[in-house]
Order: sequence, then C-alpha cells, then structure tokens
Amino acid sequence: MEPKCHNFSRNVEQALANRNLQAAISRTTGRFLEHRNAAVRSFPGDFEAAREAASRLKLATLRDLDIHLSRFIEEAERRGATVHIARDAAEARDIATRIAKDEGIALAVKSKSMATEEIGLNEALEGAGIEVVESDLGEYIIQLAGEPPSHLIAPAVHKTREEVARLFSEKLGETYTEEIPELVAIARRRLREKFLSAGMGISGANFLVAETGSVAIVSNEANARMATTLPRVHMVVASIEKVIPLMSDLPPMLRLLTRSATGQPISSYVSVLTGVRRPGDAEGPSKLHILLVDNGRSAILRGKYREMLKCIRCGACLNICPVYQTIGGHAYGWVYPGPMGSVLSPLLLGLREASALPDASTLCGACADVCPVKIPLPDLLLELRADARAQGHRTPGEVLGMKGFAAIMGRAGILEALERIGGVVCRLLFKDGKIPWLPFILSGWTDRRDFPAPAVRPFRKLWKSKRGVLPWNR
Amino acid sequence: MCEHGEFASLILGGMAPSAPVTASLFFTCLADALYPNVALATATVLERFGVTVRVPLSQTCCGQPAYNSGHRKEARKMAAGFLRAFDGDGYIVTPSGSCAVMVKEMYPVLFRNEPRMLDLACSVGERVFELSQFLVDVLGVTDPLSAFKGKVTLHDSCHLVRGLGVREQPRRLLRAIPGVELVEMEDSDRCCGFGGVFSVKNPHISCAMVEKKIERILATGAQYVTSGDLGCLMNIGGAVSRSGYPVQPIHLAEILAGPPPDEET
Repeated sequence: MEPKCHNFSRNVEQALANRNLQAAISRTTGRFLEHRNAAVRSFPGDFEAAREAASRLKLATLRDLDIHLSRFIEEAERRGATVHIARDAAEARDIATRIAKDEGIALAVKSKSMATEEIGLNEALEGAGIEVVESDLGEYIIQLAGEPPSHLIAPAVHKTREEVARLFSEKLGETYTEEIPELVAIARRRLREKFLSAGMGISGANFLVAETGSVAIVSNEANARMATTLPRVHMVVASIEKVIPLMSDLPPMLRLLTRSATGQPISSYVSVLTGVRRPGDAEGPSKLHILLVDNGRSAILRGKYREMLKCIRCGACLNICPVYQTIGGHAYGWVYPGPMGSVLSPLLLGLREASALPDASTLCGACADVCPVKIPLPDLLLELRADARAQGHRTPGEVLGMKGFAAIMGRAGILEALERIGGVVCRLLFKDGKIPWLPFILSGWTDRRDFPAPAVRPFRKLWKSKRGVLPWNR
Repeated sequence: MCEHGEFASLILGGMAPSAPVTASLFFTCLADALYPNVALATATVLERFGVTVRVPLSQTCCGQPAYNSGHRKEARKMAAGFLRAFDGDGYIVTPSGSCAVMVKEMYPVLFRNEPRMLDLACSVGERVFELSQFLVDVLGVTDPLSAFKGKVTLHDSCHLVRGLGVREQPRRLLRAIPGVELVEMEDSDRCCGFGGVFSVKNPHISCAMVEKKIERILATGAQYVTSGDLGCLMNIGGAVSRSGYPVQPIHLAEILAGPPPDEET
C-alpha cells in the first residue's frame, strides 16, 4: 500500500471524527489488555524472567543473524523447500509473482501476514491476473472493504458488527444480518470454496526455526492450517528477523507471544511446517517456496535501532498505547501502527515519509512495560526524533524556537527578567490568570485548553526576597 | 549507562537519617515561571523535616523540551547548565517525576560520547530524588504533618510511576494526612495526554486523551486531583479551566505543605 504517514495530522482528524472507530477500538484493545494482564498474573513461572530471556535470545540471534539464516536455508532446502531472498519490496513482489505464474496459479488463498502487507503482495498478484483471497476473518472483512489492516493481530478491529453486516450484504449479496454467528457462517462457507479450489496458499511466519528449516505459525481460526496444507503449492513470505536458532527456542517464544497478544496461554492452532509433503503423508503441499524479505532490515541490524528487530508482532504495545486507543491504526498511514509502527515505519520508509510518527507519542512508557521482548520503544522514538532534527525534518519555526529557548535558558538572569516582564504583561492582558490563546506553533494547546498566566513574581524572585542571596544560591 | 556510586546506598529504606540533611531544590522551570507556590511548598515540606534547603539560583530548565523533540544540541547546552548549577554534594530534590527522569535517565544518553560529562551527569543524577520519593525513602517520613482537608484523587504521572517506579510513596503520604480522603480513579497511571511537545504538536490527540482522564477523575467525585508532575496538572488544569469541570488540580507538594499561610497567597 502507498504510505500515507506524511498525512498524519489529516489522518488523525479523520480518525477523531469517527465515533464508531474509537468505541470499537477501545472495546477490543481493552479486552485484549484485560486478558493479557490475567495471563501474566497466572503465568507459570516468572514472567519478567521470561521476558528477559526472550529479549536475550532475540538479541543473540540478531547478532549472528547471517549464520542462523544460512542454517535455516540449508535445512529448509534439505527438506524440499525452495528458498528465495528479496532485497527489497519490489524484488519480493517480482519473485512472488514469478513463482505464482510459473506454478500456473489462478487463485491463491492467504492466511494473515504483515510481511505481505509490507511488500504489497496482493496488489502485485492481482495485477498479474491472479485472484487473491484473504482467509483470516478480519483480513477477509477488510479485503472486502478495500482497506488496510488497522491492528497487527486484529486487522478489522476498527469495524463494528453493523459495518461488517452491511459489507457482507453489499459486497457478497448475502441477506443482511447483524448476528455474529451468522456472519461467521457466511465467511466460512465462502472461504471453504476458495480453500478447495486454490492452487496456492500464502502465509507469513511467526518464527522460522533454523535447526529444522521449519515455519511456525499461530492462529485461532484454522485458516492458516488450511491455507498451508490444502493447496498444491505453499508460499511463505517472512522477513529475515523471524528466525530463531533451535526448535527448543520456540516454546518460550510462543508462551510470550500468545499471552501478550490475546492473553491466551496458547493459540487455538500452532502449525509447525517442515518441508514438503513426503511419500505417505496424508496432507501437505507438494511445492514449498519460502521468500525471505530483507527490505531494509540488514541496515537496521547494523545501526542503533537493532533492538526493533526483536519485535514478534504481538500487538501488546498497540493495545496499551493511549494514542493508538484514541486514533486507531489507519491514522499511522501504513501497515504497522502504534508504538512499534512509529519506530519501524520510519526505519523502513525513511523519515521524509514518516517523521510525524515518532512524534505521535507522549513517551508515557506503557509500551515498553508490556513488550514481551523488552524493546525500549520510547528510547527508540527519542532517537528517531533526534535523527529527524539532524536530517532536517523539523520546521524552521520549531528549530528557531528551540534555539531561542535554549539561549534564554542559558542565563538565569535573562530568564528572570523575561519571566517578570511576561508576568506583568499577562496580568494586564489576562486578568483572571488564564491565557485563552497562544500564538504560532503553540496555538494547538489553547484550542480546547487554557494556559496558565506566568506568575508576576517567579519563584527565583520570591526566594531571593524571602531568604536573600546566599553563597550557594548563585 | 551509569555505575551506581555511594548515593545509591543513601536510600535508607524508611530509616530516618541521624545526621542533618542538606538538599538542593531543583524547582523546575514550570514551577518557577507558572506555579511558584509549588516550589515554595516543596521547600516548606523539606524544612518541616529538618532539611537544610539550598536553592541554586543559576538553574533554569533541565532541557527536557529540547531533548524530547529531538533537539539534542540545545538539550546538551541546557543539561550542561544544569550540571554546573548542581555540581557538588548533598541531595537534589524536585517536585517533578518527569524532570528527575530527565536528569537521571536522559542525561547519560545526551552525554554518551563525552566521558567527562557522562561522569558528571551520573554523579549528579544519582543525587536526584522526586519529593515524595525523598520524603518516604530517604527521610523515612510516615506522617507529612499536613492540615490539608479534602477528597483527593491521585494521577500517577508516567515518568514518576514508570520512569522512577514511584507508585506507593505519594499514596502513603496522602493516606497519612487526617483531613485527606484518598479516592482512586480507574487507570490512574494512564497518560493524561500531556507529553510535553506532544501536547502542542498533536493537540487533538492530546485533548482527547485529557478528556478521557478527566472523565475518570470526575467519576471519583474528588474535589482535588493531585500529581507529582506539574506538566500533567497544567494539562488537566487547562482543560478543567476551559470547560469548568468541578475538580481542582493541585500539586502533591501543596497538599503535603498544607493550606498556604496568608502571606504566601
């Protein structure tokens, strides 16, 4: 999808104007959080220690990512998979399209995958005349609506049931119903036909296990299992940081992923897919393509944002973020929303496109507290803000203002003089001590809030007149 | 980034120190210019418990607004000024969790490539305490001896609760005041939407967040909403003042100090 991060403030206006959106989002994120907190409380063992261990495992893996990736490729190919590597999104689209064409695919079913959203796979395949059907219920809904996902694990979180009902009746010609079981039954019936006639299943990966060349996928709807076992060809699209060294590393990561995401001790389905169908196997694809996507990650790996590549896409930072809860996922303007998106999107797209995203945080720190792999998200947001200034993505007004602020703050005497002048002037202008409007870049404050008038006698003046200037006071 | 020095062991775990205590007041630029009574109240409370209060008058702003918006060069300039003003010994006490976090956690990042400044930042940083943390953890205060009266709800500021891990200290102090009835709001540690520069760069989101916060404050029926950070109170107070909600923001230091004597109002 075409990034719209540069339109952040317009996106926010649209989001805030939509009352349904905020109700739907706060309902779902609230439920996820409640379940997550309950799962943390009842965690068998020390949850903090588990986070720390997972963080270390991911960091250690990233340190030798090339070694683990080579091992993964070797083991996957030994078991009959074909592994492809794409440097960027365009190359990934080309490779995926060529694979689909070479395999003679007319219809592909997909299970949920953020990597395919990132590279814009659906549009590319559709452009090549291949029908693509999303089979995760949430993804199916937003595909019908022609919208991108607004949450990592609940892509249609912004839709109310009434909106889904209208969508199903308009786009699918079904009888209008707002009953959730009936809506689910409609999707299941429609999708079943697709599963049975698709030549290719496309999935992402939650983890790639280097030791065995396996692809691990969690899901709650069994659609991932059907999409990866029923069609003749299975194509996996995964970004390179998904690799973990050993099969024994998988359980500790899964424990954290599902609890952090939905509060489940384990998802309804965990598929660990290893190689192609062997003689005597009851099911499974006879062709397995694994497309590893770099798309800027090698560069991230080398720099100060490496910790972002620990992310396992659980969505906990979205659920707890008061900004995400207020504006939803679409406002962020690309596929990755919330705090993790505010770090990852500028890294993948560049600050020219996405410099507004790191600013879209109060740095409240709630995201870092829930992150199962302990990514210091506020610190990374601050680094990105510093990069934005260094790369010239700050308005001249802001830079000038900050230089002036620093100059005033450089001298206590100047500050005191300005405080006293400001205090007297404001007392004359605003007799009740409230400033109802501020100029220029500060004007946003006073749209719906007053600003306090400065004191006529600032504290430093008060203290001096009460206590005098003592040697240590200078 | 900092190694813990002698000051880390100065937290006495609720034991009152026997020697006289000296503390430098880091009054913050917000209190200086906009809420001088909060800085006075902080000094009053400290002196009530025998602390010799020094006020370095060359202090200005810790540099957080510049740091948080990515202007590191300007932030370093202000941070260097702060370190000059507070270089020395004794505790540094501030009525702001956010400003304390700036000095303790962010200065080491600012000076990560300047070993000498980094050392100075670390040695100054470990002397910094937020007021309620200092009273409870260092002085071992169990009763703030305040005559304040009213029904109060506490907003946990993000930097105090998640940055410094201070959640219980202000509650213990408030509960010890006979005239104070402490009522908890739902999600007291959810951000009020201030976020410094965030509140002017993203005012619509900020306002939506503060309205949600005020909803929860009003649900308690409290007369006062208090906090250990003036930024939050300025944000909540700005919305309260514009819309006329029936609640009064007041800094924790003012409650601890008790009703102000007449000559200070």
